[in-house]
Amino acid sequence: MFAEKVIELLKEAERNPVTIDPFNDDKIRQILEEMHSLFRMNMNDANATMENKTLWTTVQVRHSALERNKRCLLAYLYSRMSKIKTLRWEFGAILPPDVRELLSDDEYQWFSKYSMNLASYMRSLGQDIGYNGIDLTENLKPPKSLFIEVLCMADYGKLELEDGDVILLKKNSRHFLPTSECQTLIRQGILKQIT
Amino acid sequence: MFIEDIKNDFYNVLQGNRVLLLVHYDVDAICTCKILQSLFKCDNVSYTLVPVGGIAELKQAYEENNEEVKYVVLVNCGGTIDLVDILQPEEDVVFFVLDAHKPTDVCNVYSDGQVRLVYKDSEENIPNFDDIFKDDDEDEENEESESGREGLEAMVERRRERRAWEERRNTLMFNYTQFSYYGKPSACIALELAWRVSRCGWGCVWAASVACAAQAALHTRTPAAALLDAHHLHTHTPAEHSRTGARVTLEKDVCLPLYRRWSLEAALCHSPAIAPALRLHTLAGHARLRQLLADTGIPLQQARQAFRSMDVELRRSLLPALEAAAPRHKLPPPTHTTFLLQRLHSPTLAAMDVVYAIMGLIEHETLPKAEGFQHALAALDTESGENESRRLGCLSAQRALEAVAKLVHATLSARLLHLAGPFSYFIVQEGTPEARVVKGPLWLGVAARWCGAATQGARAVVASASIDDANCLLLGIPPRYQHEPRNLFGAAFEQAATKCGASVSLDHVDSSIITLPLAQRAQFLDALTALLA
Repeated sequence: MFAEKVIELLKEAERNPVTIDPFNDDKIRQILEEMHSLFRMNMNDANATMENKTLWTTVQVRHSALERNKRCLLAYLYSRMSKIKTLRWEFGAILPPDVRELLSDDEYQWFSKYSMNLASYMRSLGQDIGYNGIDLTENLKPPKSLFIEVLCMADYGKLELEDGDVILLKKNSRHFLPTSECQTLIRQGILKQIT
Repeated sequence: MFIEDIKNDFYNVLQGNRVLLLVHYDVDAICTCKILQSLFKCDNVSYTLVPVGGIAELKQAYEENNEEVKYVVLVNCGGTIDLVDILQPEEDVVFFVLDAHKPTDVCNVYSDGQVRLVYKDSEENIPNFDDIFKDDDEDEENEESESGREGLEAMVERRRERRAWEERRNTLMFNYTQFSYYGKPSACIALELAWRVSRCGWGCVWAASVACAAQAALHTRTPAAALLDAHHLHTHTPAEHSRTGARVTLEKDVCLPLYRRWSLEAALCHSPAIAPALRLHTLAGHARLRQLLADTGIPLQQARQAFRSMDVELRRSLLPALEAAAPRHKLPPPTHTTFLLQRLHSPTLAAMDVVYAIMGLIEHETLPKAEGFQHALAALDTESGENESRRLGCLSAQRALEAVAKLVHATLSARLLHLAGPFSYFIVQEGTPEARVVKGPLWLGVAARWCGAATQGARAVVASASIDDANCLLLGIPPRYQHEPRNLFGAAFEQAATKCGASVSLDHVDSSIITLPLAQRAQFLDALTALLA
């Protein structure tokens, strides 16, 4: 049957709607071969039967199979592309090697171009009001509150906030601080978020 | 200076600024802190919270954290000391004081804006400004300008006047400072603030309820005053239901500590309100307890198992049965009206239990004070289900109450409650397992009140426990503390210390608690006896 392989390919991709699969090089080559052979057969028949109109139906069926293959391949590539786009927002500009392996060379090229575009866009943001860029990937969901309550777990010393205030982080003192300031310290285990 | 409008002059001033929050280690302060924290969280007021245990710690905490901070809020500390003199702050730092300890230092009252007292207690008789402060320079200038006989007479007249004024001032100040006592709980004031800014949720009401229960459990206020303080808790019930379905109700409850987690017999044995009247330190005490249980119709087997596994019928009938049986045994009324936190799908929580849990946390046997403070804040949460901090606190409180009971029984049966002049005193024996638990002012206070109640409560009690190898803690409980909680020991300790020359440290916020070197304790107690006799 025509276009059977491409449906298999799509079904495979469909099974994993969230994560990205390895680029199915092998199957795509087979589909392309199928398309080439269809095209060749159509060419032969079309040339041979300029007058004989009985073969026209066959040609038309082959042609729609060809077009279907093309549409499905494009859909496959497009769905992968949007997944790669989310990769950029999730992982940042540098992909971990295991994710990198899943992409084909062309896809990777597209990824780096997209990444560069995004970076230059983010850098250009807010220049008119004196900021040099905003990292859009930092808060993908709006934070529940700008401030969080944290408990200091160790004697850390002084911490200077972005607005110039200096606070002393001493064990067992509690602070109510801007979320962005605390993230790294929470990761280091110096602060503990209190919910 | 006192603040006129708690919303505009206190809360709105803080908004948009960094605030340093210094909180004393006591139940009321922790409840207040909980309310203030929830307000600050709503309005994104960034704060730093540091718990402080005494005046020296207050000073240290201020010095460490005063960079770039213009507003300092002191909860239950700092009102009774001259803040400007002790902390030496910059000109533009403003202190807001929310302190239930009274009397308030007059320098704080008449400060021109640097120290602002959030609540004016009508019970305080603060001397007038003109009666206690006078400009010295003015007089001297006048003295020099006049001369001759008339001038001399006028000068003598002025000096006489001045002496009279000074005498009057000293009497006024003596009357004002001779008793130390507690005012309206800070948490009630904080609740009023939350109400004014329309952020009064059930969490805030619960925190204030716990503070009210604390003053009843620790006898810091007269019963009448406590009733009036709780008034706002009825009126300020939030309209909306909380997410967790928690709500605070005022109900009649048995005044046994932690009985929902304990067995009935154990709760009766360790209740500071009822156990002293049962005189369990005597041989007849336990017979009396069994008689009481028999009168209430509860079999011993049921009374000894965990309360929550008791027969439902018996549990239901406990309140009326105990009420009926108590007068026959000459017990104080065994029920009181208290606040309960009703939660969906979770056991009801009594405010008094949380008071003991918090006390157990801030004076835990092994946990450092500061960590206990963090647990205590978590124990005040109203969310349904079991709370790890609260469980820890209840366990510790049970242990501490057991230790207090054991200590008091040992003291009374071994006749170690010594009579000295107008007061009795006892010393916690070092090396006993109880001494490790009863070492902080809160539990030692419970023990001292227990002793007082067991001996009919007509005499003042002084209790002492050693903190470490060299120092010990000494605290005094006034006579008839249930009815008149004003404490005369603050001033008495100070005078006795100057008389006998002991190097007493008056570091505690409550002046009726002092620390002094172990070696000087006997000498100090002699001086105190001589002073009060």
